Amino acid sequence: MALWIQISAGSNEPLYAQLVNQISKAIAEGKLRPGDKLPAVRKLASELVINPNTVAKAYTYLEQAKLIVTKTGSGTYIADKNERSTDIAEVNYLNERIDNIITRAINLGLKPKDISEMYKSRLEKFSDKPGKSGEENE
Amino acid sequence: MSEIVLETKGLTKYFSKKAALESFDLKIPQGCICGFIGRNGAGKTTAIKLLLGFLEPTAGSSSVLGCNSMSLTPDIRQRIGYVTEGHRLFRGMTISQLEKFQKPFFEEKWDDKFFAEMIEYFDLSKKQKVKHLSNGQRAQVSLALALAPHPEILVMDDPTLGLDPAIRRQFLQGIIRLIMQQGRTVLFSSHILSDVERVSNRVVVLDKGRLRANCSIDKFRESVKKARFSFKGEVPAIIEIEGLMNYRILGKELEVVLVETSNEKIKEWANTAKAENYEIIPMNLEDQFIEFTEPKRRDKQFQWEAN
Repeated sequence: MALWIQISAGSNEPLYAQLVNQISKAIAEGKLRPGDKLPAVRKLASELVINPNTVAKAYTYLEQAKLIVTKTGSGTYIADKNERSTDIAEVNYLNERIDNIITRAINLGLKPKDISEMYKSRLEKFSDKPGKSGEENE
Repeated sequence: MSEIVLETKGLTKYFSKKAALESFDLKIPQGCICGFIGRNGAGKTTAIKLLLGFLEPTAGSSSVLGCNSMSLTPDIRQRIGYVTEGHRLFRGMTISQLEKFQKPFFEEKWDDKFFAEMIEYFDLSKKQKVKHLSNGQRAQVSLALALAPHPEILVMDDPTLGLDPAIRRQFLQGIIRLIMQQGRTVLFSSHILSDVERVSNRVVVLDKGRLRANCSIDKFRESVKKARFSFKGEVPAIIEIEGLMNYRILGKELEVVLVETSNEKIKEWANTAKAENYEIIPMNLEDQFIEFTEPKRRDKQFQWEAN
């Protein structure tokens, strides 16, 4: 299952952040579902040929974001949806990011209507699968 | 705090009147995978040779596993793996003869099975003569020879120089395999910074014989950044931003390279200097390294140590 992680050394994005982003995205898209097991740190590190600390750092980060849980002696799993929390700082950060994107869109000459259409169509990519798995948990 | 396994104190080496290394202070704790970077002639090879006792320092000292480099005992040497620059091996020998030659130095530490496995993994045969091997194959043999005694410390001088990407990747896999074992320390110099980024957790930057940075790779990635400001009028004559290392002015735009400057501080300066706009530009490790070792502001040399 680790096959879909693509690490690109030498990019602007630090390696641990690449891991965090790809795993988070897979969770958001429903490719990874609650209860799915992630590979062990050492296994993933040797598959991707990166330092194990980098993988450990990414896992710690995801754990702090409550996207994954580590069960002692058993492994690391994708967390249940209801274990995730809404962090005000995270929401503020998202708002800032959205503002940046809107700024760029306006400067490109896009109309508010176009921008909200863009958001809608991107959202559709994510909407069905995670929603379903969320319901399964309840 | 882990035990310090590689240490230099004011280590200095002159070749005739030219300093190759000056007042080099370094402490590498056990378990550290350290990428040793610097431009050609920065003093990396000199530092490595001094550490391993192949050169005598002009001043200062160094030690490996607590033992002075100039008096490393066979016992200590058995715990060190060394891959030389250019992978020099005896040309007339077969791989099997090289093994027979190398093994007695390491006594019972030598792992026959592991060596055989690696040779097989690299698709080589022990009957092959060194002079018939390609560059890449010689690199593979020298890595296998260095790893066979399961060294506690592995020192490699530009080991992937001239290797194709596939062999480089195999080489890195070999290093990863070693560091999966507890408490192994690796120091390797390289110009291929994407390799350094992959396997190391610490970077030591050497520039013109002097230590310029010694910190975790994450810290380095986070701390060296570029920001670009645009102004309505002229770019201010005085550029005083905390951590300023380098700057360029292009018309009404100012580009700065900063070390350990928070984004808040950048924003603050943009306000104070009345910049019309500014952005923080992401950099990869290679760009960071180039900016770091080529500062225009020679008046303010950065020496930077962090965890």
